[in-house]
Amino acid sequence: MFFLSLTPGQFLGLLAGGAALVLALYLLDRSRRRQVVATLRFWTAAREAPRTQRRRRIQQWPSLLLQLAGLGLLLAALGGLHWGTRGPAARDHVLILETSAWMAARTGQGTLMEQARALARACVRALPARDRVMLVRADALATPATAFESDRATLERAIAESAPSATALRLGQALAFAARAQRLRGGSPGEILFVGSGRVSAEESENAFAPPANLRVITAGGPLENCGLRQIGLERSLRDPGQWSILVVARNYGAAPQRRRIRLEFGGAPVGSEELRLAPGAEGSATFRLRTQAAGWLTARLEGRDALAADDEATLELPALRLLRVLVWSGRPELLRPLLAANPWVRAEYRSPAGYEPDAPADVVVLDGFRPPVPPRKPAVWIEPPAAGSPVPVAGRARAGEAVGWRPGHPITEGLGVRDLRLEGADVYSPGAGDAIVAEVEEGPVVVARADPPKMVVLGFHPGRSRMRYELAAPLLFANLLRWIEPEVFRRWEAHAQSAGSVSVELAGEARGRVRVETEDGRAVPFTQGERGVRFFWAEPGLIRVLTGTGEMVYSLSLPQVAEAQWTPPAAVRRGLPPGAVTEPRAADLSPWLALGGGVCVLVEWLLYGASRLRAAGRGGLMGGRLGRLRRAAIKVGGRGR
Amino acid sequence: MSEQPLVDQKFLEKLERLALRWQRSFPGLVGGHNPSRYPGFGLEFLDHRHFHYGDDLRAVNWRAYLRFEKLFLKIFRLEPHTPVRLLLDASASMATGGRPKFDYARTLAAALCYVGLVRLETILLLPFRAGLEGSCRCAGGRHRFAPVAEFLAQLRPEGRTDYLETVRQFVSRYVDRGLAIVISDFLDEQPCEKALQHLADFGHELMLIQVWAEEDRQPPWEGRLELIDAETGGRLELDFDREARERYTAAFDAHSRSLRRLALGNGGRYVGLSTDVEVEDAIFGPLARMVGCE
Repeated sequence: MFFLSLTPGQFLGLLAGGAALVLALYLLDRSRRRQVVATLRFWTAAREAPRTQRRRRIQQWPSLLLQLAGLGLLLAALGGLHWGTRGPAARDHVLILETSAWMAARTGQGTLMEQARALARACVRALPARDRVMLVRADALATPATAFESDRATLERAIAESAPSATALRLGQALAFAARAQRLRGGSPGEILFVGSGRVSAEESENAFAPPANLRVITAGGPLENCGLRQIGLERSLRDPGQWSILVVARNYGAAPQRRRIRLEFGGAPVGSEELRLAPGAEGSATFRLRTQAAGWLTARLEGRDALAADDEATLELPALRLLRVLVWSGRPELLRPLLAANPWVRAEYRSPAGYEPDAPADVVVLDGFRPPVPPRKPAVWIEPPAAGSPVPVAGRARAGEAVGWRPGHPITEGLGVRDLRLEGADVYSPGAGDAIVAEVEEGPVVVARADPPKMVVLGFHPGRSRMRYELAAPLLFANLLRWIEPEVFRRWEAHAQSAGSVSVELAGEARGRVRVETEDGRAVPFTQGERGVRFFWAEPGLIRVLTGTGEMVYSLSLPQVAEAQWTPPAAVRRGLPPGAVTEPRAADLSPWLALGGGVCVLVEWLLYGASRLRAAGRGGLMGGRLGRLRRAAIKVGGRGR
Repeated sequence: MSEQPLVDQKFLEKLERLALRWQRSFPGLVGGHNPSRYPGFGLEFLDHRHFHYGDDLRAVNWRAYLRFEKLFLKIFRLEPHTPVRLLLDASASMATGGRPKFDYARTLAAALCYVGLVRLETILLLPFRAGLEGSCRCAGGRHRFAPVAEFLAQLRPEGRTDYLETVRQFVSRYVDRGLAIVISDFLDEQPCEKALQHLADFGHELMLIQVWAEEDRQPPWEGRLELIDAETGGRLELDFDREARERYTAAFDAHSRSLRRLALGNGGRYVGLSTDVEVEDAIFGPLARMVGCE
């Protein structure tokens, strides 16, 4: 016999306290009561022989015993008195169910996930019914799916809802989380049950973690042969913007060497194919070149069948090539042609100033030495405009042989000014409030930039006519001018297809200061920035953009993150399903019957003693008087009604 | 904060249709409203008698003289102005009970005084404890009710009761007979019947109104009781149970019956009122049904 919610000591203490209270109330109820009356005349008639010796003594033993019995029975019912023997105390288990990407691998008996779910259900059923279990889904993150739950239906529902994710298992982190959950829970901790393939990253496999002492491992599946794509990288050729360089990396996760062919398709049409020989646990890569200026979907496919189909194919979206259209209005096009032809991202068109059209289709307009009747509505580069029609007032003329000083810090002057450049002559401008000075001589500014749209740059000298035409600075100046005017066209663009999880991006020095990482719909992704680049974590398949000042990198996290190594638990770790629940001793719950008995005791005491006291009080007491008044008032009203 | 008035205006309006009556015939001067068996000046014809020298010639029945040639004198029923005296118990015992009997008693007294004022009676209000206390004379019509209410409101129940001394003072102070209304719980250590009989023997018509609280008649307590007399401070310890309560109630009822017998035996009236009965119900119920108050 045991109490479910009280210890015997607590029960006896409560019973003793309650009994003392009942006894005190009983004696107080029957103690001498002082009362002021109108006269003692009639009381003497009512008095019998004095019985002062009965004061403070129990006069109605059955009443007191019934009250005490009722109290004891009700207290025992509240304490949850059971008949039988108490089983072992309930324990708190943590069930770690692996939901890594590898769990989608198919075996002869369904997927690993299906096997793991069946094993997890068997685990839950094997544990004693009163034990509580917390289900934790483990991939790159350990996510609790339930609290410590004793309801098996809830647990099985959570197990059934578990599905493979896109990331690899981080077992050490999951085990630490489980141990911490048991520690925070208090109570008596049970086992940490791990159900899964146990496939972990090479990093985690090398830095072996110490498994907790109460770990039990239930392994799902066995060795499987699988090859998968690891990464696809795309980049436009710097010399030829219409040509893509494509790198495809594949890995053999199995134990046997594999020969697999990689096929590349663009817009559904095959564009390349290469066979890879992959040793066990080794990676291989293939490089392709694709020439296209159109946008489309590039698909890399690893031919053949293996355990995991999700990493055999990856698709990337290629953007269309956009060249900068430059319309040059010049009577001396031969001077400018070499400067613009040096830039592969520029498509230049040369026209005579006589046929000037202010709305001619172009991204940038170059006006060489003439004043158009109508100013252009596009971004423009003015070269030696006549003083009468210059967009920036001309202040004078610089002497020949003046050395040019490039203003550092302006995007147009990046890479310029390292050499001593002397001009044969140049117009000197007096810039306005919103104008930026790019280059200057002793007399004043000779190159002025205006950032207000449409952007405009005014050159006080011709770069193709002076000695500058022999310098590398001339095409570089034009390239910088055009990049400053239309930065989007010159933005470096890379695309990578790889697995979800942790992504490291290496950045060039000039791009590190202005980095944004965001999802396809513009939501910011948290990242850390180091000396060599940025690092972020994204567990779901999707498109992540890394934007820098000079370029954009698109990461298509569409490949599953498959761990490279198989974790082998130490010999001391328990394996297999937990032993079946020992037949629990049966204990009968006496609470309802005790409550009923207590209620009967109280009712009997009330009927035998309490009701008579109330009746006596009701005849003459205040309450009785009020009741009497009410009764009489009712009679009176009835009588008047009649 | 103003005190609650003893009787409200609506209740006073209801009291307008009542009148105080008495059963005995009292000699006295004209001016009252209750007819008497004594002949005198009045409006209602009573009898004839022979004329004697000195009689008022205005009362001679001249028609009878023309017929019988003898002088007959018409005698009329006297409606004397009978003194009404209201004795109100203001002892400490009246303060006991869940609803204090004294509040009930003085409300009752106020109502009776108003009834008398409406009928142009003269009522002498006499609180008593160990003897008669200061009196208040009510006369002159209903608009003189306010002083009566003020007098009653300032009374406080305190002290002991001595019926014998009270009656002795009463009969020595008020020799002309009249209606004596006694409102009390009649709970004294000494029996009050002797004193009341003494009052009746002096020719006063008794109207005894016994007021009790329910716990005076049926004490609700049980168990060991230490009882303290509200007037004397005497103490008594006893075990009180159902049988004792029955004996107590029987003794109380016997006391009430002896008061009733005494009143009726002397041509007076008796009514017993519990404080649980509202004053209005008591006035228009037991008191109105009582012979003499209609």
